[in-house]
Amino acid sequence: MVSFYDITLKVRRFDPDSKSTWIQTYSLQAGRIMRFVDLFRRINSETDPTLAWGSSCEHGQCGTCSVKINGKPLLACELLVENAVAYFGTTTFTVEPLGVAPVVRDLVIDTEKAYERVDRVKPFIIDPRPPADGQEHAIHPAQLEHYVSATRCINCFCCASACISSHRNFLGPNAMLAAIVRVMDPREGEKGQRLKCLYSAQGIYRCHSSRACSFVCPKQIDVAHFIALAKAGRMTPQEE
Amino acid sequence: MTIPVISTQHCDLLIIGAGGAGLRCAAEILEKMPDARVVALTKVSHPQKSHTATAQGGLSAVDPRDPLDATIFHMFDTWKGSDCTADQNVVQKICESAWEQILWLENRGMHFSRDFQGRLSKRTFGGHTRNFGESSAYRAVFEADRTGKGIMDTAWGESLKRGITFVNQCLAVELLIRERQCFGGIVFKQKTGEFVRVLAKATVIASGGCGQVFKVTTNCRQNTGDGLALVLDAGLPVMDPEAVQFHPTGIVGAGILASETLRSVGGILRNRDLEPFMVNYAPKMRELAPRDLVARAIESEIREGRGILNPDHHTEHVWIDLRHLPDEVHAKQIPEVSSFFKRYVNLDPKRDLCPVRPSNHYHMGGIATNEFGEVEDAAHQSIRGLYAVGECAAASFHGFNRLGTNSILELITMGKITAERAMHHIQRAPVHFPDMAPERFHARFTRYREAVGKDSLGRIRDALRGLMTEKLSVFRSESGITAAMESLRELKGRADRTALSSRSWAMNPELVERWELDNLLAVSMVICQGALQRRESRGAHYRDDCPARKDEFNHHTLATMPVFGEVELGRREVDMSICNAGGAHHEKFAVIERKY
Repeated sequence: MVSFYDITLKVRRFDPDSKSTWIQTYSLQAGRIMRFVDLFRRINSETDPTLAWGSSCEHGQCGTCSVKINGKPLLACELLVENAVAYFGTTTFTVEPLGVAPVVRDLVIDTEKAYERVDRVKPFIIDPRPPADGQEHAIHPAQLEHYVSATRCINCFCCASACISSHRNFLGPNAMLAAIVRVMDPREGEKGQRLKCLYSAQGIYRCHSSRACSFVCPKQIDVAHFIALAKAGRMTPQEE
Repeated sequence: MTIPVISTQHCDLLIIGAGGAGLRCAAEILEKMPDARVVALTKVSHPQKSHTATAQGGLSAVDPRDPLDATIFHMFDTWKGSDCTADQNVVQKICESAWEQILWLENRGMHFSRDFQGRLSKRTFGGHTRNFGESSAYRAVFEADRTGKGIMDTAWGESLKRGITFVNQCLAVELLIRERQCFGGIVFKQKTGEFVRVLAKATVIASGGCGQVFKVTTNCRQNTGDGLALVLDAGLPVMDPEAVQFHPTGIVGAGILASETLRSVGGILRNRDLEPFMVNYAPKMRELAPRDLVARAIESEIREGRGILNPDHHTEHVWIDLRHLPDEVHAKQIPEVSSFFKRYVNLDPKRDLCPVRPSNHYHMGGIATNEFGEVEDAAHQSIRGLYAVGECAAASFHGFNRLGTNSILELITMGKITAERAMHHIQRAPVHFPDMAPERFHARFTRYREAVGKDSLGRIRDALRGLMTEKLSVFRSESGITAAMESLRELKGRADRTALSSRSWAMNPELVERWELDNLLAVSMVICQGALQRRESRGAHYRDDCPARKDEFNHHTLATMPVFGEVELGRREVDMSICNAGGAHHEKFAVIERKY
């Protein structure tokens, strides 16, 4: 078994002061189960402290370290070197920022701008129905089962990056998911506003059903399934 | 060259740190005072990226209708777990308001797991018992294994809904305090590279923990003790800095948390001979003994040569065995945690033994506050308009050891309690803002920019983290701590001499790293001083050279450090109000032995 790999990273860089963009190549030796965030950190420590990249939890729960590796949007904290070599069949990797918002520097994008599209769909319960017993708002597990996987979305924007629809015209798969999950949530009393947003000019009909969102989702959410439910008007549980 | 503060912004409430505690506080204020101007700062790229979102297991709260459990049992477990160093007024306040907060969360969007009868599902965690230690209590409600995410999404959504202003990717670099009143702070906006003044009637520090002090940690990359360094810089104390918890089971390599849930659903710890060794350390509770006991048990196995060496990370570890658990448990109860092993070490927990070892997890110590979250100075006088809540604060709910599931409970309960206090302060006569020229951040950032030495900040940081892991983690000793302090002084000197590669202000990762390194150094130094003077073992603080708890140390440590390395130590008495009130079961709240 190989104990380490000679890795080449071709990183797309951007300097906001000079407004210049260029590709910088870094070569390094990496152990089997080092992750791409570990590689970025090593570049900062050993060769180039100016390379800007983002991360927070570094275990796939926050979605800060999303980048495109050889064109595929993914979480850099979850990509082990040996898996990357096996998956892409190479030891040379291009690393680029996601295209869903302006780049601030190098691999760091303006996440706030990306989130504006999520904020537009109101990622909260707009008008909570009062709980039946005045206290707990129990959702039966059978009912929750219909949409529980959608609650796992971390807004890493990998789906939005992979989506083949125009970012300008479509709010994006994760924003749609945030709306759909609250139509399916029995606690939400304000369904009208939500449906209006989903079926608006920037809503689900912009989706071309390529299923790229489901393919790249690091949380394995079948985003396209939920969008399909919304298109079919089947967001409330159907009688079997 | 002077560094300009380019603008001044006014608000009612400034929140430094937009995680679960900060936003629970914000949501409460905005619910009660819809016109309040609330500004929340965060160092991460968006509030949803906060460390709160990574909490897995659950949060303990006694349902008042539960025929078997009672709030007094929860209070007792917390007191006993803290090794008799929690403050009883705080314990009572939090435990008694816990259930109300569960309902608050569920009515605003959280998806707590429920059984097929529609009842809230409950888990048991280490140290949580019924009838004062008689048997395990099922007390923790949860949202699958992403409870923290549920809290984070709910608190963020509610704050957003009610018109909060977020400022993402920024640093709070100085508190503006005059005559024991706080008027906000100086903020560095990373994206534009600008310094701005935010004047606020009330300021809440909710900046999270300091896990990055240690090499092996479950904490986010962002948890560099910034809030602690901020108050130290302002001459205010950090309480019980030496009280640092190590989670027994971090996944070897990245230190990622393998939740206690793995043990509560039946995971077994084994050494190199595959012996289930916990029975030798805690015959009754075994895998569910409190965290510090489990962490020391694992370290003892490793020290005595019964660990296993991982070749990739040159790290010794023990195994957690999950192979016997039914597929249903893997799929429904621990899907995310067990998938971590697949994802980060390429092992399948259904078939393979999984490597774990203790990993820094939580800081019980923090900014000294009273039971309302009001920040206190070294003389126990509160600073008007300044509050601290969440992991960065110590009220103290956890004393010297935190029970599993009590941390996110503290976020939401203290978040609300602090909000009530801050609201009262905001509503009083309008604050007159005196001349608020910043005093200290200029010197600090000028120093960063003018240093000319050649070194690597990353290597200095790695040296610090390795040092703290080696000398101040699960086992500590006087000689080790003294050596660590000496090394910290050297590292500080190296850091101060190191030039930045780029002089750009905007989104300069090295500039932020430099600032964080100063914070890590400051926090490490007070951890060392606290650990050095506490010549006893208590909760998570374990001294090899003083292995017993001593009554003479039945108090909190207060550490101030106006200048790096010059630590002044004081003490604060532990609140024993439940014991002193003499009500039913008060004797359980005396200084008791912590034995399971």
